[in-house]
Amino acid sequence: MQIRQQAISRALSQLPQALLLSLRNHLEIWATVVVVLAAASFMLSRGTGFSITLMTVFAIWAMLAVSLNLVLGYTGLLSVGHVGFYGIGAYTVAALTANPRQELLEGEIIQIFAWPFFAALPVAVALCGVVAFVVGVAFSRFRDDVYVLVSFGFAIIAYNVFVNWQWVTRGPFGIHQIPKPAIFGYTINDDLEFLVLTLAFLAIVVGISWLIVTSSFGRVLKAVREDEDAIEVFGYRSSRYKLAIWVISAMMAGLAGAMLATYTSFVDPNSFILLESILLVAIVILGGLASIWGSLLGALAFVLLEEGVRFVPFLPPEHVGQVRQIILGTLLVLLMLFRPQGVAGRFKL
Amino acid sequence: MDILSRPGRPTLILAIALTLLAVAYIGWKVTESPDQALQFTITGLNVGAVYALLALGFTLVYSTVWFFDLYYGAAAAIGAYFVFYLRAGQTTDASYDPANIGLNIALGAVVAGVTAWALHTAFFERMQGRYPPLLVRAAYLLIAVGAGGYTTILLLYPDNLHQIAAPLITLISTAVIGTVLYWALGRFGFGSTGSSRLVTIFSAVIGLVAGATAAIALAQTPESRLYISWLVSCLLAGAVSLALYRGLYAFILLRARSTLIMLVATLGVLLTITAILVMVFSNTTHPLPASFGNNLLTLGGATFKEFALFAIGSAFLGFAILWLLIRKSPLGKVIRAIGDDEQVARVVGINTTAIIAIVFFIGAMYAAFAGILTGQDIAIQPRMGLELLLKGWIASVVGGIGNLYGAILGGFLLGVVEQFGIWDIAGEWQDGVALILLIVFLSFWPRGIIPRR
Amino acid sequence: MLQTLDIEKRFGGVYAVDRLSISIPRGLITAIIGPNGSGKSTLINLLSGTLPLDGGMVVVGPKRLRIIKPFDSPNIGLTRTFQDVRLFEQISVLDNLYVVMTERSSLLSLFQRARKEHRERAERILNVVGLWEKRNDLAEELSYGQRKLLEVGRLMAMNTQIYLFDEPFAGLALHMIEVVKGVMRELQEYGRTIIFVSHNMGIVRELSDYLIVMDSGRLLAHGRPDQVLNDPAVIEAYLGN
Repeated sequence: MQIRQQAISRALSQLPQALLLSLRNHLEIWATVVVVLAAASFMLSRGTGFSITLMTVFAIWAMLAVSLNLVLGYTGLLSVGHVGFYGIGAYTVAALTANPRQELLEGEIIQIFAWPFFAALPVAVALCGVVAFVVGVAFSRFRDDVYVLVSFGFAIIAYNVFVNWQWVTRGPFGIHQIPKPAIFGYTINDDLEFLVLTLAFLAIVVGISWLIVTSSFGRVLKAVREDEDAIEVFGYRSSRYKLAIWVISAMMAGLAGAMLATYTSFVDPNSFILLESILLVAIVILGGLASIWGSLLGALAFVLLEEGVRFVPFLPPEHVGQVRQIILGTLLVLLMLFRPQGVAGRFKL
Repeated sequence: MDILSRPGRPTLILAIALTLLAVAYIGWKVTESPDQALQFTITGLNVGAVYALLALGFTLVYSTVWFFDLYYGAAAAIGAYFVFYLRAGQTTDASYDPANIGLNIALGAVVAGVTAWALHTAFFERMQGRYPPLLVRAAYLLIAVGAGGYTTILLLYPDNLHQIAAPLITLISTAVIGTVLYWALGRFGFGSTGSSRLVTIFSAVIGLVAGATAAIALAQTPESRLYISWLVSCLLAGAVSLALYRGLYAFILLRARSTLIMLVATLGVLLTITAILVMVFSNTTHPLPASFGNNLLTLGGATFKEFALFAIGSAFLGFAILWLLIRKSPLGKVIRAIGDDEQVARVVGINTTAIIAIVFFIGAMYAAFAGILTGQDIAIQPRMGLELLLKGWIASVVGGIGNLYGAILGGFLLGVVEQFGIWDIAGEWQDGVALILLIVFLSFWPRGIIPRR
Repeated sequence: MLQTLDIEKRFGGVYAVDRLSISIPRGLITAIIGPNGSGKSTLINLLSGTLPLDGGMVVVGPKRLRIIKPFDSPNIGLTRTFQDVRLFEQISVLDNLYVVMTERSSLLSLFQRARKEHRERAERILNVVGLWEKRNDLAEELSYGQRKLLEVGRLMAMNTQIYLFDEPFAGLALHMIEVVKGVMRELQEYGRTIIFVSHNMGIVRELSDYLIVMDSGRLLAHGRPDQVLNDPAVIEAYLGN
């Protein structure tokens, strides 16, 4: 009897240590369990409408996170400029599909195209690709810290364009009344149907990303990340690989932007400030570098965080975003101290 | 910097063509309307002064630690916000009072920590043999808690800032005047021989008398509150920066595999501080209370505020101080040694962590002052930090990173180019012009106008 | 046949390689020796395009090259190891080999995966260098000697005519040195040209068929090892100052 008690107490005394060790070694699994459970409990407690909104927002952020992870996690280019492509995608769809009746900017002639969504979408994605190609060529010489700053620069220039190119973007007023996607005369107005569409696009993005990172191309990307000069000696033009993944990633971000535009039926420059990009970088690093699953996890955690923060007692609702930002910022610092690859990551910065 | 390769011949030709094009454009504009050109130049110099100050601090920090400190931008923002915080009662929207006891205590704690650290680093080893360590520690703790409490009280009663700050001003003036006097006397042959101690005491006493006089004079003029708040803000921003380095970055640096780790960590700090600023001070734009120099001056066809002259002057003053510090003082020699090779410096016996902490303190003070100038000139808002950071970085890259001459030159050049760049297009494109300048420089002259030797 | 004609490389004002003309016989093992700072590693870097030439040209078979881009070096039949071992640290040992075997074109590589033949080749190579058990470890987790062997393995995975080894034996344990020697001999049996830089005279004597001695970026002597090593000028360069 006594012996058994001793054994139990010894096991109990070792439990915290064992748990901690397990937490460190299997953080990916633990995090997945926690995040998925949190998501499930939120959805169950808040009902269908909330769940659909949550999942749609998640899907858009997840597309962004996966696309950035291709560049940041797999190729090692810390780009803070992805919000620019996100915005280009959103604005292209907005400008091409919107059919505003009331608010026309005074003294400005605004082109109205009123295209269907599925016609505008390929244009948006292609435009992102073209812009990314030009930007990528201009940025091909830069690495590391310098790359971060020029990509900062790209985000700011993109924001400047959104605010100031009023002929197309209608400046700070934004573009209203962006229609929902319609195909063969059938409009996807229902939230659930829209969610399915968004998830389908997310699945495409994840699928393509998975194919890329498991192909020979993906292996070369990782090698470029590890030692750009060494991989060149083995016959690869690393700048081409970097450019290619940059363009692909930008097109995915553009797709996410297009979905955002038609989802909120309204775009304005405030959705594409530099801060969004920084949050995105935080999501990707938090979720895990060079791990697609990690990016999905990070995006889900990010979306849940906003809802979770609302439960903090005595917190005025207008501070929810700030608290989330503080949590992300602090997590980023802690990760850099203890786990530079993020929760589910395969690449340490 | 090995990450930036030298340009080849085709890019060089392109670069020269671009330069000629830019010069031709400016020349054409100047002949077209000289008054306008003068106006743009002066505005550009005014803005450029802020960039120059930012670039000076940035270059100092970057060329010492060689990682990219994004918190530097937040330092500029919090510098400006502390002025707002201390002088909010005097702003145009008097209804807004951000008094926040939590912030006061937090800053008090930061100052206490920094004081304790400074005393420990400076004196602990010297005191160790003579007094029991416990006593020494207790003394540090007492002084540190005193300093922290003083800070909290200072922030608690901003209306009496000019009176409460008197001891602080006495302390600083004494230190500054005493040091300058000591140096000047030594320069003219005193103090080199046995009379050294006499000179020290003489300098200290004169410094104390002058400092106390200044403090008493300021305590009787409420108008001085704004300018005292500038000083306090710079010091606080420096203290926060120092605390961040010593308390956080130093530990991350121990395990960092790459500079990107530091960059991301400082990004996290920037995110956190920006969010805190928004929470405490709201997301809106605030004006700072009016300072001196609001009279308009005219020169040729150009009009500008007197404050512009002050800004330009302070950029040159900032340059001169930093130049003396880096090139002439013993501290500067150590800082340069660390910048050349930190490992070697540590092996030689330099307390690199302490010196880098001081560098962070000085750099953040430059950033904060630049932020204050921006706030006085335009207004403040929480995201200004990131913008100022970018401008400071661009200016230092354009001038040549790691070079003080380059920093001030790059700052003014950036300011003027920005103004000329938006001559024919809307002013909102200013940032775009700056970034294009950056990308051009990085592509063609990655080492800047005056490369670091 | 690999030949250099008056190739030059300056660092600042100092010539690291000064109008060097050498020719390296095909299908033999050639050793390059010389005192520290004599430009051996610079020569390897110039041949592989890691550093751009400041003057002169490199002749490989029918090709006469004034500019060698690093990514062109496999096309002209060259591959190399690095003096400071440069692996792709955060990917697995197996991937370190796959990455040099697969498709070079950025477009085609998108549709290619590691196939059975890649795996079989990688297995053969890893068995030769003794790293098959470590195949799923990250390269950064290997010991120094294992890293060096993996780099040699990576060279074997490349199928080129000329192999450049920069200090392949430095810091290796004896049994590892034997492995590297074996690899070189095997490559030679397949008719490949091998060039290696080394300070280990014993190995140079034993292994090389042809010897090039460099001093201050110039060619000091060349020829059969037993002749060259008895050359008074060479002895002086090594022992003189």
